[in-house]
Amino acid sequence: MSVTIPTVETDRLILREQRLSDLDAFVAFFAGDRAQFVGGPCDRVDVWRMFCSGAGHWQLRGYGIWHVADRETGAPMGFTGVLNHIDWPEPELAYTIFDRYEGKGIAFEAASAARRAAATHFGLTRLISLIAPENTRSQALARRLGAAPERDTEIRGHACTIWRHPEEVPA
Amino acid sequence: MSLTNAPRLDTDRLILRGPSPHDAEPMIAFLMDQDRAGGFGAYDNRGDAWRWWALNIGHWHVHGYGYFTIEDRATGAPAGISGIWNPEGWPEPELGWVVFEGFEGKGIAYEASHRARQWAYEDLGFTTLTSNIVPGNARSIALAERLGARYERTYVNPHMGEDLLYRHPGPKELAA
Repeated sequence: MSVTIPTVETDRLILREQRLSDLDAFVAFFAGDRAQFVGGPCDRVDVWRMFCSGAGHWQLRGYGIWHVADRETGAPMGFTGVLNHIDWPEPELAYTIFDRYEGKGIAFEAASAARRAAATHFGLTRLISLIAPENTRSQALARRLGAAPERDTEIRGHACTIWRHPEEVPA
Repeated sequence: MSLTNAPRLDTDRLILRGPSPHDAEPMIAFLMDQDRAGGFGAYDNRGDAWRWWALNIGHWHVHGYGYFTIEDRATGAPAGISGIWNPEGWPEPELGWVVFEGFEGKGIAYEASHRARQWAYEDLGFTTLTSNIVPGNARSIALAERLGARYERTYVNPHMGEDLLYRHPGPKELAA
């Protein structure tokens, strides 16, 4: 028996497992400059690798990244969840919503739900987010989520700030 | 704890099973061995090697198949990996194999990949399989030929560069 990935629903979104049918939408996002803070830009092969390593992360850690889908249409809109690669300082709440879905509070809705689910399902109640100094968009969302900068560090050769989220209460 | 829903397959000397947590260190050691993993895809840091280990597990979940860990029945030690690998950018799904240090020269790769190929044909319904081998990997070419595979063409692999595509006999050919 392997880890079963819980599905999380919000008003507008479904957070669910990696699916190959999401590939085209992710490839389009990861081809662009907007992917620079989340491991891109990169090509289709690398996005495929990310899907598989993301699915494997769930098995190794017991938690991981959900793909965010439109609850009505099923269209992939981004990803959120908890990352803890072997070279990560501690479990991180990550969130990215594709360009075309911005400005609607989708990222906030997805990240809030992921943070709550992390507390509920995995007992992770004080997550960090790792944010590049120049990623002002992500910083703004972190602030809106109640997080505050804690200290600067370096991850895989990139400068970044550790933001600390407020204590989350399990649902 | 099992990390996948891979079945267990048995041969005379080996057990093919899904990757498990205690395979991580031998797998990462192999991936970071530039000499031995050069023809497979080596990494120069533990972070990237760990991500490949996660990818290897996730392949089973995303595709429904992947690399088995080859377990040496006598000792229980992980001896390598073999199975079906299907990355984006590869021409077709391939039968792959790796044998860890200390397990070479015993026919383990042949015994494991022969069983994995049979599983792909009989249980997954594959009708053909390839193996992609970098030029100069004489040991792997010899094994492909021992398995009955034949050189088909040279192409450019997105990760490995120039690559030789070998095609295995299909299930009908093997049954004949």
